[in-house]
Amino acid sequence: MRAVAVFLAARLARALVAVWLVSTVVFVVMRLSGDPVPLLLPPDAPRSEYERVARELGTDRPLPVQYGVFLGNALRGDFGRSIHFREPAVRVVVGYLPATAELGLTAFALALLIAIPIGLLSAVRRNSLVDQAAMAAALVGQSAPTFFVGILLILIVSLKAGWLPTSGRGDWTHLVLPAVTLGAFAMASIARLTRSAMLEVLRADYVRTARAKGLREQVVVIKHALRNAAIPIVTITGLQFGTLLGGAVVTETVFAWPGIGRLAIQSIYNRDYPVVQCVVFLSALLFIVINLTVELIYGVLDPRIRPR
Amino acid sequence: MSELSRRDVLKAAGVAGAAALLPSALPGGAHAQTTQKRDLVVAQGGDISRFDPHFSTSSNEIRWTFNIFDNLVSRHPDGKLYPGLATEWKLTNPTTWTFKLRSGVKWHNGDPFTSADVKYSFERTWDPNVKSRVNTVFTTVERVEAPDPHTVVFTTKKPDPLLAARTAFYGGQIVPKKYLEAVGGDTFNAKPVGTGPVRFVSWTKDDRCVLEANPDYFGGKPDFDRLIVRPIPELAPRIAALLKGEVDIITQLPPDHGERVAANPSTRVVGALYAGLYVLAVNSKVPPLDNPLVKQALSLGVDRDIIVKELWRGRGIVPNSQIAKGDNHWDASLPPLAYDPKTARERLKKSGYKGEEVVIETTSGYTANDKPMSEAIVAMWRDIGVNAKVEILEYSVRAQKNRDRTFKGLWWSDPTSTLGDPDGMFWRLLSPGGPQDYWRHAKFDELGEAARFSIDEKFRGQAYKEMTKIFLEHLPWIPVIQPYEDYGLQKYVDWTPNPNQQFEIRRFAFKFRRA
Repeated sequence: MRAVAVFLAARLARALVAVWLVSTVVFVVMRLSGDPVPLLLPPDAPRSEYERVARELGTDRPLPVQYGVFLGNALRGDFGRSIHFREPAVRVVVGYLPATAELGLTAFALALLIAIPIGLLSAVRRNSLVDQAAMAAALVGQSAPTFFVGILLILIVSLKAGWLPTSGRGDWTHLVLPAVTLGAFAMASIARLTRSAMLEVLRADYVRTARAKGLREQVVVIKHALRNAAIPIVTITGLQFGTLLGGAVVTETVFAWPGIGRLAIQSIYNRDYPVVQCVVFLSALLFIVINLTVELIYGVLDPRIRPR
Repeated sequence: MSELSRRDVLKAAGVAGAAALLPSALPGGAHAQTTQKRDLVVAQGGDISRFDPHFSTSSNEIRWTFNIFDNLVSRHPDGKLYPGLATEWKLTNPTTWTFKLRSGVKWHNGDPFTSADVKYSFERTWDPNVKSRVNTVFTTVERVEAPDPHTVVFTTKKPDPLLAARTAFYGGQIVPKKYLEAVGGDTFNAKPVGTGPVRFVSWTKDDRCVLEANPDYFGGKPDFDRLIVRPIPELAPRIAALLKGEVDIITQLPPDHGERVAANPSTRVVGALYAGLYVLAVNSKVPPLDNPLVKQALSLGVDRDIIVKELWRGRGIVPNSQIAKGDNHWDASLPPLAYDPKTARERLKKSGYKGEEVVIETTSGYTANDKPMSEAIVAMWRDIGVNAKVEILEYSVRAQKNRDRTFKGLWWSDPTSTLGDPDGMFWRLLSPGGPQDYWRHAKFDELGEAARFSIDEKFRGQAYKEMTKIFLEHLPWIPVIQPYEDYGLQKYVDWTPNPNQQFEIRRFAFKFRRA
């Protein structure tokens, strides 16, 4: 038990350093990338206006001073006021979370529910028609650009067939196309990895032993093989989960989905530092939590890698 | 590359899509042309970011703040000024404008509208404590007084012929004094209260904004129960949403997609000739652009007819000067700007041009056709012997260069004529100290200043005529096109677009066709 606590404490310390580093890099990069003031004012605003607004936002102060203020406030959970929306950045970002979670979780569930069975089946029926079809589909899913898949789905499924709405957020029908688009890549990579991990394990001696014991094939595959193949699958699943929640910029833009990715990209264009910093901070936190969870799951799956 | 393949896919699928829609549209016959809808759904390219009209100059917002709020004077789609919250206005002496206000108007929260609100609104725009984004709109005004509840008197620093026009554009939206003072700017921004034809209901960022019809509106309840505004940033899904009938009107329809919308049996395209111009602004301080002969050659070297025909599918006209068609003092007798490569080469030779690089700095997709037009024009200039080049900028970099006045050569500017008058167009940008102050000419400056402060329209007309002559010789801008701004809409929608990017949903401009 103590070992687990020490392990967690060490991880937590590392996580804090990571969050600090990420925030600092984003702070510096955003400042270097340009000034928000010209984007706020009409093109014919006089010089004095630019100076006044810069003073109001504090962007006229030296960078180290701005950084000190940022760090001090961030420690208290205050990311400042959004320059673009004129309200607290945290409130802006939190407003976008439900839509992101809805889309990301659905895409993730879709990916898992489809990819793992397909990967399993492909491995067990290696080189069969099912395997080849599934792997061809996975290759397409992994290599087709998201905007292409998205727009194609809109044109075919929504516009031509008329089955689903073209874009926007609403009832479950609005969720289908963006979730499929977003989940396609994750689905493909999880399916491929499941297959290869399983193929490796299925060749192992203990699987042969299990079969020799006369166990049913189902038991062999699920209990003996899958459990041992699970570690790489959990790893990639964790990574994909983070990506699905944090990196859905293209899908959200194509489907006009009001999520955090779109907020992030627009805030970058608007040089809305406070919102960008808040989003990045949350994403970093999310990845750290996921990684930690993945490592804890390793321990559950494989007693050999439990912290001692 | 990605842009290209995306468009191609779209075109191919679009044909199939339209074909598939045909049969389902046929049985209804006239069905597609009328509707029982009570909600008007509009899709635009970007989202609203705030509702406080004194903090916003972006078209994605002013489309709606002009409908939640009213101005004293209203500019209708025909380009003329009509009564808004003021029923009449007149110049009582050269520096005094008197406005008579409409009586019986109520704010959306039930408070009565009075002259105190008007005085408060204008003073709020320039109050340094408010820090509004429109504090430069009414710089000609000395003070505003409200002698009685239905009269407002403006005293201007110098004679201002355009004050009524100024009150009709952004910054001129009238806000509620009592409500604002009670709740403060943040709450007002989140829950705006106006006098306009629609009332604020809710806003989910990047998803939808819901507004409802104001049944007590003095101009009559608009022809819908609710107005829903949806931001759909990508063009293809925006058009798909229209073709499928999910939205009633889409904004920012580029000319090369108009045919698809027009070919679809249930939708059509309407456009308004933009109140403004697309020009290549020139940094006339750097050689060789400090030489008028070089600029004349550049202007003569642009085949504008080809640009209108090929890049805009005919949706635009060739300008004849720095004044937009439809504005006061536009001179119908001037010919469109000429394309004459032979004379262009001669002028270039005469100028002593030695092959210096001429750079167009363009954004890609920020203003319609910016990059394709830049590429076409650079090719035309190479033809006449100019060492021309395109450089692509991100929009925010452009905004910074605009502030710092550091453009290398030429860049796109799409000035809107905010007042329906040359003063609110070229003079706003090219005047001394203005944002595009890269060129000075004593006579030009004197005339511009005199025209700004004269209430004698004949004198002003003469001044702008002389300025045009100077302009065409020195070309601080190379005007390229006055385009149409197109919208896609369902055939059951009757709607007249406004040339200056307002989005008019009052009864005189919008109605549903009912069966």
